[in-house]
Order: sequence, then structure tokens, then C-alpha cells
Amino acid sequence: MEKIAENKIIEDLMPQKFGKKGIIWVISLMIICAIGAYAYCRQLYYGLAVTALRDYVSWGIYISNFVFFVAISLVGSLITAVLRLTDVHWSTPLTRIAEIIAVSAIAFAGLIIIVDMGRPDRFYNLFIHGRLQSPIIWDVIVITTYLFISLLLLYFPLLPDLKIMIRFKEKNGKWLQKLYVFLGSFWKDKPAQFKITDKAIQILSITIIPVAFAIHTVTSWLFATTYRPGWDSTNFGAYFISGAFLVGAGGVLIAMYVFRAQYKLEKYITHEHFDKMGKVVVLLALIYLYFNINEFLVPAFKMKKSEEEHLMGLFTGEFSPIFWFAISASMFVPILILVFKKGRTPKWAFAAGILVVVGSWFKRFLIVTPTLLHPFLPMHDVPKNYMHYFPTWEEWAIAGGSLAGALLVITFFARIFPIIPIHETITEIDSHEKA
Amino acid sequence: MRKHNIIQLLILTVILMPSMLIAQSEQKPTLSLTLKYFNDNNKTHHLLVQAKSKINGKFQQIEGAPVQFYITSDDNKQNLLGKAVTDDKGEAILVIPAAAKKEWLKSPNQNFVVVSTVSNMFEESRAELAITKAKLQIDTAEGKMITAKIVALVDTAWVPIANVDFVLGVKRLGGILNANETLTYTSDSTGLVTAEFKRDSLPGDKNGNLVLIASVIDNDTYGNLTAEMVVPWGAKTVYTTNFDHRSLFARRGYSPIWLELLAYTIVAAVWFVIIYLLMLIRKIKKLGAE
Repeated sequence: MEKIAENKIIEDLMPQKFGKKGIIWVISLMIICAIGAYAYCRQLYYGLAVTALRDYVSWGIYISNFVFFVAISLVGSLITAVLRLTDVHWSTPLTRIAEIIAVSAIAFAGLIIIVDMGRPDRFYNLFIHGRLQSPIIWDVIVITTYLFISLLLLYFPLLPDLKIMIRFKEKNGKWLQKLYVFLGSFWKDKPAQFKITDKAIQILSITIIPVAFAIHTVTSWLFATTYRPGWDSTNFGAYFISGAFLVGAGGVLIAMYVFRAQYKLEKYITHEHFDKMGKVVVLLALIYLYFNINEFLVPAFKMKKSEEEHLMGLFTGEFSPIFWFAISASMFVPILILVFKKGRTPKWAFAAGILVVVGSWFKRFLIVTPTLLHPFLPMHDVPKNYMHYFPTWEEWAIAGGSLAGALLVITFFARIFPIIPIHETITEIDSHEKA
Repeated sequence: MRKHNIIQLLILTVILMPSMLIAQSEQKPTLSLTLKYFNDNNKTHHLLVQAKSKINGKFQQIEGAPVQFYITSDDNKQNLLGKAVTDDKGEAILVIPAAAKKEWLKSPNQNFVVVSTVSNMFEESRAELAITKAKLQIDTAEGKMITAKIVALVDTAWVPIANVDFVLGVKRLGGILNANETLTYTSDSTGLVTAEFKRDSLPGDKNGNLVLIASVIDNDTYGNLTAEMVVPWGAKTVYTTNFDHRSLFARRGYSPIWLELLAYTIVAAVWFVIIYLLMLIRKIKKLGAE
């Protein structure tokens, strides 16, 4: 009886070939990536002049996208590490989803920085001219470290699953079989191997938390260590981390719904998971709302001259439609949806997740751009187009291409590896039944 | 008959009006030139011309005006000292060349002419200047006193000149800082002026050297004269830089030790864990091979 149940779980959770919808999805993402690549070639050929980046706004949607990627990558540490260390077992089916989101997002965060540099060879200058005192160097170090730790956290729990997949040689095909053998042929289900893996995952879960906090705190310091309206804040580290956890959790809600629907995983990603993740999102949205109130109420109360133009631009000025959309979409509306039990059903939770992610992307845009439009020492006779920023089609295409690229990595990962850990699921069901 | 004449006059005015207007529009503005003479520390002599013109009711400096300098009041080709073009401040400078020495030594008085030839914008214009050759001598006396003397060439002898206004001070940031609270001095019958130096703590160079300067500015007879002298009356300035000091704002490789220790310790600790985990993978592989 147990064997039958185990086989059923394996059959359900094995990676599946793309269906019609999957092929359309992959081709669409590839087209977006190709357009982005073409736009990037134009940027390489003509220089950053093809963008709307000028002397005032030198960080546009590229850096907004970078901050967004770094933020969403934090979900790996939340779901995998925080919930694992606090002995929360309901999150087991979500750990790999969270980790692959983290890996793909952090990889594209690194790439988008190179895009923002204009000439990619300038990346080399970071190493030959970089100063240890600069948060930019800290960011380079911490992003690289986080990528390695996330890859390890993805790999260790995958080892027992690789052994299971190697068993289905004919189903896998030649190339996938070779890949599985290369990655996990040494796994023999020995108790000593399990013991080492458990220890490694425990160490990783502890290590990833400070590194994850560091990655987003350092990203916030790229702004907060600069004395400019909107960035000059001691609140920025905590503000960024709370926002990052929120957008990451929103991303997981979306991924849960999509994988559940496409791979028929209703038995594994249940209503209970949406209910609990929904509650987590409400909690994170409230925390982020608290930091937003701190971030805007305190300077607005004092309304220093230098801050006034920036704040009024957000509240009632040029950026007010985006500002109020971002605040509503990333916090107010998701809270209103998910606070009710009916809102924590898959469809509503998916909608809330979409709102959180989209709203959070625009929130990053608002953190980066409006501040740059209000320098302390405005240029004399500055051209009018310096005082407004609207990205060119090349910027939109490259930013869209990077987002599509991250989704493509997640999609291909789910095609190659089980998106829900097979071995862990079997073990948990076994232990649950025994209990 | 009178009424008939007025009508004829009006018709004539209407017919001639366009040509009158064209004639007015073709009239070029006048270029105004001002010529000045400078004796720089009794070593070199130079001429400076300032070109201005009234455009839209305002005097404006004229850039790019070609000017020719002549020694003597005759703008004959053989008296040509040199040519120059005015800069963005409307000024052009010409150092009097050694080749003009023969003409220079002829008389105690000297005339100069500057000419701007006719151009697309301006008619030809010229300016003349007549000076009496004079020089300043600067010296110091006990008790940090500065003395300066003006002498002018009369026939073949240098004669002291009275009632000439001076500025005495220290050369500072392209200007002159007064030696004390007195702004100007006037020479006595012996051509002398004396000033007490009261700028004791003034920073000098690394040896405490200051450059004292005596200057006669825009004198109608003698032009602009200066004389300089180096004295060790200033405070010694030791050039210090924090370029090589370790600080949060220093260059690469000069970060504070505490930051290096902290950063490298954190990075080493985390990467030690990563390396340890990679070793665990190796251990798992070995167990699988057994």
C-alpha cells in the first residue's frame, strides 16, 4: 500500500514535458528576451544615448529592476530558512519554488547591473578600481555570496530526488539522464548521506539569513549613504528588507497558483497552503506599510525645503498616480483581499500576488527615480528633458527581457527538476501517517 | 504754390525712405579701443588693448577683433610690434619684443598706437598712448618696513618723482593684499613711500617666503608699474595631504584597518562555510562510492 502511494507521489511530482500552453509560454518569453537582446545590442552599438538616462536621472528602470530582483530573491531565505528553522512543515512543497525564484532573480540582478554600466567591460573596473569603503563593492561581494548559498540550498535537497529521477532513464531522455547522473549519481540513500545533507541544509539555513539581510541592507545603503531627498534615511535597511519579503512572498503566491494549475498539483499545493501563505503576505504587507508610514510621514511632518519638492511630487505631483497605485497595489488591496478567508483561496490569492509584485516593481521605480530629479545643486540652464524621465523603448525592452529571462530560468528548471521536493514529500507523508 | 511744394516734398521723402533705411542699416558700430602700458617688475614691458562697442545700447566686450600694435605714433609697417586677436574678455596682450629696443631707447617718452583694421562688423579704429618711462624699486628696512621708490627717465637720468599714488602689499591669489590698514601711499619729494608690514601670521611657502609688491596702477603719465621682492616674513606652510591616509573617503587600498578587518572577517567566515559545504558534497560522493 505504501509503495503504491510512493509511486503515485513520484508520478505526480516528476517533471513534465511542456504542453501546448507551456510551449506558447516559453516561445513568448523567448521572443521578449530576443527583443531585449536586440535592444541591448543597440545600446552596445550606440551607447547609453539610446536610453533616457541623462545627467539627472542616471539610474532609471535598470536600477529599479535591479532592486526589484534583489528584493524578490529574498524569498528563498524566508520560505526555506526562516520557516525551516522555526520547524514549520507546511512550507515544504514551497521551498524549491522559493529557491529557484531566488536563484534566477539574483542572477539577473547581477546581469542588469552590467547593462546599466553601458559598456560591459566596465564591470572589470569594479575589481581593479573598486574601494572596500564603497557599498557598491559590498553589494558585489554579497550578491556573489548569496548566489552561491542559494545554489547550494537548491542542490542539497535535490540530491535524493535526483536518485529517484535517474531510475526513469527511458522517460528522461538522453540529455536529461546525463545531467541527472552528473549531478547525483553518487547518491545512494545511505543514512550517513542523509545525515550529512540534513546537517548541510541546517548550516545553510542559518547562514543564508544574515547573508540575505546583508544583501538587501547593502542595496538600501547604495541609496541611504547618499545625502539626497528621499534617500537620506536611517530607516532604509529595514524598509527595504520588509518590502523584499513582501514581494518575494507575492511571487511565491503567483508561482504556487501557476505550478498547481499547470502540473495538476492540487494534492500537494492545497488550499491550506494558500491560506497560510496569504496570512504571511498580510503580515508582511502590514510590516511594510508600517515602514512606509515611517518613511513618508516623518519627513512630510517636518517638510524640509529639500524634501518638500520630492514628497509633493510623490503625493500630489508628477509621480502621484504611480505612487498611489504602488501603495494600493502592493499593500492596501492585497491586505483587503487576503485578510478574509475567502480571499485566501487560490484565485484570489493569485490576484493578490500579481498586485503585490506589480505594485512592488513600481515602488522600486519610485525609490530610484524621483529623488534623482531633485538634486541639491541643480544645473544651470539644464535642458528640459533632463528634468523628466520616461524610459525609451530600448530600456523597456531590456528590462522586460530580463524579467522574461528570469521567468524562463524558473520555467526550464521546473521542466528539468521536480518543482516540489519528491523525497521530502514522501518522508513527511510517511511520518505524518506514522504519527 | 506752398501747398504744392509740401506735397512734392512728401512724395520725395516716401521715394527716398527705403534707400535711407538701407543706408542706416549698413552703418557699422564703432569699435572703441583702450591701450594700456605695463612695466612688469622692471623686466618685461607689455601692452594691453581693450576692445568695446556699444551694441543694443550697452557697451560690450568684443571678442575676435584683430589688432596691430605699433611703437611710436606712426602706424608705419616698420614700427609694427606685433598682431593679436582679442579674447572673450575683449582683451589682447602683446609683450614688447627685444627687436624694438632701438626705438625704445631713443627718447625718455614713448608713444604707442593700436589699430583695428576694417572688418565685416566694424570700421577701422585706433587708439594712442603716450608714456614717460619710469620704474619702481622696492626694498625692506629694519622692523619689517617696506620701502618703494619711483623714478622716471628725464633726458638720460633717472629722477625721483613726487605725488604718485602707490599700492604696497603682498602678492596674494592674483591680487595685492595691503601691507597694513592703509590702502594707498603717495610718494614724497624723494619718490619714496614707506609702509609697515603688519601681516605677521600670513602663510608663506614652505620656507615662509612672501612676495612683496609695489604697484602704480593706471597712472596717466607712467602707465602701470610693478616691482616685487621675496622676503621670509610669512609663516612656514607645511603641505599636508590626507591622500595617503586611511579613511572612509580615501582611495582604493586605503580603507580603515577596522573596516578591512571587519569586512574580510565576515567574508572569510561566510566563504569558509561555503567551502565546508562543498567539502560535505565531496564526503557524500565518497560515501556513495563505497
